[in-house]
Amino acid sequence: MNSAETEFRPSASCTMGVELELQILNSRDYNLARDAADLLELLGRTGHPGAVKPEITESMIELNSSIHVAHEPLVQELGRIRDAVARAAERLNLRIAGGGSHPFHQWGERRIYPTERFRHILDVYGYLAKQFTIFGQHVHLGCPSGDEAIFLTHLLARYVPHFIALSASSPFQQGEDTSYQSSRLNTVSAFPLSGQIPFVHSWSEFLDYFEKMRGYGIVESMKDFYWDIRPKPEYGTVEIRVFDTPLTVERAAALAAYAQALARHLLTDRPRAPSREVYLLYNYNRFQACRYGLGGTLIDADGGRHVPLKEHVLETLARVAPHAAEVGGAAALKALEAGVRDGTGDAEWLRRAYKARGTLNDVARMQSELWMGLTRPAAR
Amino acid sequence: MTQLSFLPTLPFPASPLALFGLLLLAGVIGGELVRRALRLPRIVGYVLVGLALGTSGLNWLDGALLREAWIFVDIALGLILFELGRRLDFAWLGREPWLAATAVLESALSFAFVFLALLYFGVQPLYAAIAASIAIATAPAVVLVAAQEIKAEGQVTERALNLTAMNSVIAFVSSTMLLAWLHHEYRANWAIVVLHPVYLLAGSALLGYLASIAAMTLARWLGRTERGHLVVSLGLIAVTVAAARMFELSVVLALLAFGTLSKNLDRRHDLLPVDVGWIGQLFVVVLFVVSGASLNAAEFATGGTLALIYVLARFAGKSLGVMSLTYFSGVRRGAAGLLCLALTPMSGTAVGMVHRTGQLYPDFGAKLAAIVLSAVLILELVGPVAVQFALRRAGEAAEDK
Repeated sequence: MNSAETEFRPSASCTMGVELELQILNSRDYNLARDAADLLELLGRTGHPGAVKPEITESMIELNSSIHVAHEPLVQELGRIRDAVARAAERLNLRIAGGGSHPFHQWGERRIYPTERFRHILDVYGYLAKQFTIFGQHVHLGCPSGDEAIFLTHLLARYVPHFIALSASSPFQQGEDTSYQSSRLNTVSAFPLSGQIPFVHSWSEFLDYFEKMRGYGIVESMKDFYWDIRPKPEYGTVEIRVFDTPLTVERAAALAAYAQALARHLLTDRPRAPSREVYLLYNYNRFQACRYGLGGTLIDADGGRHVPLKEHVLETLARVAPHAAEVGGAAALKALEAGVRDGTGDAEWLRRAYKARGTLNDVARMQSELWMGLTRPAAR
Repeated sequence: MTQLSFLPTLPFPASPLALFGLLLLAGVIGGELVRRALRLPRIVGYVLVGLALGTSGLNWLDGALLREAWIFVDIALGLILFELGRRLDFAWLGREPWLAATAVLESALSFAFVFLALLYFGVQPLYAAIAASIAIATAPAVVLVAAQEIKAEGQVTERALNLTAMNSVIAFVSSTMLLAWLHHEYRANWAIVVLHPVYLLAGSALLGYLASIAAMTLARWLGRTERGHLVVSLGLIAVTVAAARMFELSVVLALLAFGTLSKNLDRRHDLLPVDVGWIGQLFVVVLFVVSGASLNAAEFATGGTLALIYVLARFAGKSLGVMSLTYFSGVRRGAAGLLCLALTPMSGTAVGMVHRTGQLYPDFGAKLAAIVLSAVLILELVGPVAVQFALRRAGEAAEDK
């Protein structure tokens, strides 16, 4: 067994890092372009802050922040990476956009980015690999040990609907309004290794499970689990993967600050023990968030009461506010809270843009102008 | 006999519709045969069919029939130049000035190389200069259609198309200026020398501008309907081509101006991105069959050697221009050589320029035609192959299903 891969490397508790998958568009009709390799090459040549990587198809690019404690430096860094990527894209006459899905691209036209791993995914999953041209934000939260990571993974599961509803930005797919706030996760669900971590209680129990799965030949590495939340031993983090990529880096940083404050609350206050009940209700609650966003209804695992998701989010924002204040995330949470009260999320922004302009080409264009900082989010 | 008057009378009158249909069918069959047998681009097949049917071959497509077919060629050119113009993005050229600089340099060098080479081989300076100015232009139809056939998309494709649009304009402007010089040689008065190029350039640009304003206004009035905008674009393309002919302006310049201004002046994004490509395909087949038919292989006998020199000097000039500036632009290093290949095609527009000269000065036109049209003959066949090779090599062609 390769212990280097499964050994949990401890990291400072509640530090955070952000990964953003982004859309590369052409500037003619704002369909997805295929220029990831050229864009990466140019960025490599001119230099840029942070890390920039290829993703499964040639129409995607992934940005990584470094590790942060406070919100302000994170948002600053993401802004600098965004500016560098936007500048490079403009030299190639490309546009970069946020949002969990491209509104009208056809998956059949996508091409796999030529690396061995991505080709392998195409081999194994067939057309799902191309349909995987969807765009998520991953938030890494530092954990001091593997056991803490398992604990945090289970407790965060309860808040998955929050993350989905707050980030939802994929109402359109393949040229249609899906009626979902986040249609992106439906695509993820098609993968056989998507879902949730099994109900294990410690890092060693988790490793037993992993080794068993590896023994069966079902997985080769931790990367093969496409779970909503998964421990990432080589980084020493828990990785939340249900966020749609928001329309701006500012919102991405605010969402990370929320996850961080929540993790800090869960790890320091220890409000409850991991519970199987959460997983019984998991798919129902997750669906509510995908379908209706903050307008959905949540069934609380404590006592089974039905709560409007919006209310649950506002309650939680209030509860974790002191933790956010401790690490400099108070302002970010205030901004999120204001958005929740006004009902002005990214999915609403996209639907309003479509209503105003009448074509999805224009929606994609406005999405890219917003992300690149060419327009202010006035339509909010 | 009067009771049988419902029967058609012989001989049948010439029918442009039948001509269109037959050229289309002949082209499609030729294109497919060439693709299957030789694995070459269909365009090569269209041109070969044209050569076989035209004066170089069976002589079924003679001058009179070709004039009948000209309307379809005009529509095809209009669609192609409009589409090419739509891709010429001024804001991009502002952010990536090296691309515009490349267009200027490769145009200047291809002119210089061809001019000097022809001089060296004893061609008179004025002939050499006009032939060289025609060499500046890459064929928009060949690059665009060859790229669309393999659904190419990416930096090399986009840059090749933008360079083609720019060098077409530069070629037109410089050949017009040289025509003015020609006027002077033929003892025309100075007013004509000055006024003719000004009329051509300003008139064509103005026509394109008016068409683009009309397109945006109608698009705004129609609302957000893709079909409506497509029809408006097609209608205005046809009207603009006809107007350019009527006013003795440049179809190339007017349609490029229409396309590019309808993109660059459209601040409010009123005109939806319309895809004229699939309609264009119909006319494009006829365009290439006709351009094949209008070439004369016999001219190759007189102009062959010079044409070969012309082609090589042109390629060398373009390549040096592209190679020396690509380093500074945003595109990856390996792309420069592929871009050079993608710029080789020459066709319809060059033929048009030769005819224009020929109409004004017939004996001069004939001498020019021997050199330039023989070069076009070579490049009509080699060009599409070079473009598709370059774009495939660049990894920008769609996957074969």
